[in-house]
Amino acid sequence: MKRIIFGTLAATLLATGAMAQEVTLGRFFGACEDAGTDTRTSVGEACIIQSIINAADAEIEGVSVNTLPTDWGNYYDQIKATYASGTPPSIHVLHRSSLPEFASLGAFADLTDDLDAAGIDPADWVETAREAVTHEGRIVAVPMDLHANLWHLNMDIMEEAGLVADGKPILPSSPEELLEHARKVKEATGKDYLAADFAQFPIGVRLVLALLWQQGSNIFEGDEATIDTEEARAAITAITQLFDAGLANPQLNYADSQQAFLNGEAAVLVNGTWVVDFYDAEAAKEETALDSYYAADFPTLFSEGATWADSHMWAIPASVKANDPETYQAALKVLAFINDHNIDWARTGHMAVRNSVLEGEEYANLPHRSEYTATADIARDTPASQRYGAIQDVLNRELQAIWLTGKPVADALLDAQYEVQDLLDR
Amino acid sequence: MTQTPAAWVLLLPFLAVYALFLVYPFFRGIWISLHDWNLLAVAFNPDAKSFVGFENYVRVMWGRNIEWGPLSRPLVQGAGYLGVIAAAGLHLTGRVTRVTAIGLAVLGFLAIGLGGFAPGEGGRWYDRRFWPTVGNTVLFVSLTVPGVTLSAMILAAALNRETRAMSVLRTLFFLSQVLSVTVVTLVWQIMFSPRQGLIANITQTLGGTPITWLTDERFAMAAIVIATIWWSLGIAMILFLAGLQDISRDLYEAAALDNCTGARAFRHITLPNLKRTITLVVILQIILHFQVFGQSHLMTQGGPNDTTQVLVRYIYQTGFRDSELGRASAMAVFLFVIMGSFSVIQFIIGREKK
Repeated sequence: MKRIIFGTLAATLLATGAMAQEVTLGRFFGACEDAGTDTRTSVGEACIIQSIINAADAEIEGVSVNTLPTDWGNYYDQIKATYASGTPPSIHVLHRSSLPEFASLGAFADLTDDLDAAGIDPADWVETAREAVTHEGRIVAVPMDLHANLWHLNMDIMEEAGLVADGKPILPSSPEELLEHARKVKEATGKDYLAADFAQFPIGVRLVLALLWQQGSNIFEGDEATIDTEEARAAITAITQLFDAGLANPQLNYADSQQAFLNGEAAVLVNGTWVVDFYDAEAAKEETALDSYYAADFPTLFSEGATWADSHMWAIPASVKANDPETYQAALKVLAFINDHNIDWARTGHMAVRNSVLEGEEYANLPHRSEYTATADIARDTPASQRYGAIQDVLNRELQAIWLTGKPVADALLDAQYEVQDLLDR
Repeated sequence: MTQTPAAWVLLLPFLAVYALFLVYPFFRGIWISLHDWNLLAVAFNPDAKSFVGFENYVRVMWGRNIEWGPLSRPLVQGAGYLGVIAAAGLHLTGRVTRVTAIGLAVLGFLAIGLGGFAPGEGGRWYDRRFWPTVGNTVLFVSLTVPGVTLSAMILAAALNRETRAMSVLRTLFFLSQVLSVTVVTLVWQIMFSPRQGLIANITQTLGGTPITWLTDERFAMAAIVIATIWWSLGIAMILFLAGLQDISRDLYEAAALDNCTGARAFRHITLPNLKRTITLVVILQIILHFQVFGQSHLMTQGGPNDTTQVLVRYIYQTGFRDSELGRASAMAVFLFVIMGSFSVIQFIIGREKK
């Protein structure tokens, strides 16, 4: 008996070892132990993506997928180091905002002519998603979503402050109204109107960017920094007026601001689409103070609608396509698998990128989906730049200086202007 | 085999590894610092770099219209003047040795000299973040090193007894040292959290409002200093314990006969005998903590507003996030010069005769 067991085991190992083509995969989104292979029930970005990857590993014949250990905060540094040392993963995730830096060096494989054969139909992708993965006319990645900032609402607090009509939240339409709503919430409930990570992760930057775009302004155009402007002052003041009046706390970081919202201490949390299913699940729990959750489009405080957005996508290194055709074919199969599971990924709260998914009933029936339908239309981002990370960091530092250390707005904007110009000139 | 060739043969494995992993990368780093070298671009095309001489150093450390003044930065330069005066005074009254006096004076002149450079009218630094980052690193070191040294010395003195309880305590206090920086910072992030942290809970029980340690500019540096002291207490404590056990019991017995015990004995016997250990601990800690990275990177991300941005983190960001390897290497060479000079000081003091 023992012999039979060992024999079978050895034979299986040999067989799979000979057949399975290993695909290494790099991703952020955080860790999820025991994600399983059920892509329909997992909750939260980390577990949903890992369940899709596990399913790909189990279901694609002859391909095994090995997820590399990477960490969120240092993801791009790690990926860059693997490229620099000539050992990048066979496929890896990235943001649209980071694509130019890699693609301009020819780091990514040109997928344009191989997608159809792999079972991926680029014609099914929405226009913005196709643009996001196109570099100099060639498709160099497979898009997975469009994600954007939303206003996550605690409807109980909004109701108490009289900011609900017909079951829908009343959102501000000007900076003055924003202050007025915040006062109402404070008077009716004693709670903060708005919470967000203004202290570490650049959520505050994205908020200010959205308010800039709402005035038709931007942080740079071409090679010229345009930060020190009236529009920027107006955008920043719209937010600092809340801090000055004690209606919001700028010192909370990501975890603390989220906790404040879940604890029912703030009416609004500004955060991305990536947490909709998580907050929905939390609101259903008895022990979480947040009971009545609503995900609203980012309100328009100035003349035109705009909210910060980005896109997640998957790329294959050019070296894999050039030197290792078997792995390249296997990696394409994994990309096709991820593309096929676009509806599962959309469960996070992200917007899907495939028309066939967007038009489906299943997508329309996802929790809260109908509450932020305008987001896809107002989604924006800064112009493409190879120095996106450094530029965002400058803004993050100077904005933090304003609300955490009391630096005068004029000084901060002038310094940011200089530094971003420096980065654009390099 | 005679002794000399045998020694070489035995040394060879070490020398080979040393040359390959330390000497070669070091000179390679200097070489890179003289180039405009984009990490990713050079990986794809080895010819994408260009020799720029000392341009990176200028871009990092210098600026437009930089002028020197005797009181451009009153705080730094004032401390420098005080240092020089103190060195002269202490040496003339014979309270410190010549080497110590010279060391202090050199530090003083460095503070006066380097601190005097500032942008003149219409001028500005090419890299506005570099010198403030150096300043933060120096501040971190100057808070952490005395903190570690003092608390380790007090702990060592208190635990220097041969009972079972003391050896258990010694192990406990050393335990934090074996943790990795990720674990240490995770523990302290939870401790400092204004919502679920132990410190916040205590403050609230006592009726205060919790401090947001990691995002308040007044407390962020203190927070990473506290975490670092807790973390790096162990080695210093062990060194002090070794130093303490080197002091002969006879000295204490003789002193006790003269009615010198407790704090007086510590002041007149323990401290003088620990002098060399203190110097060793201080210099080792200085060299170690100039390389601080994890605490700032993981706990505060250099914030708020760069108040906890430190040199190694800036080097890391410049090299990896911004891909500017040449510039990052120039900063790394600067850091090497600082740490190298402290090693030299330690070497000189180590050779000084009693």
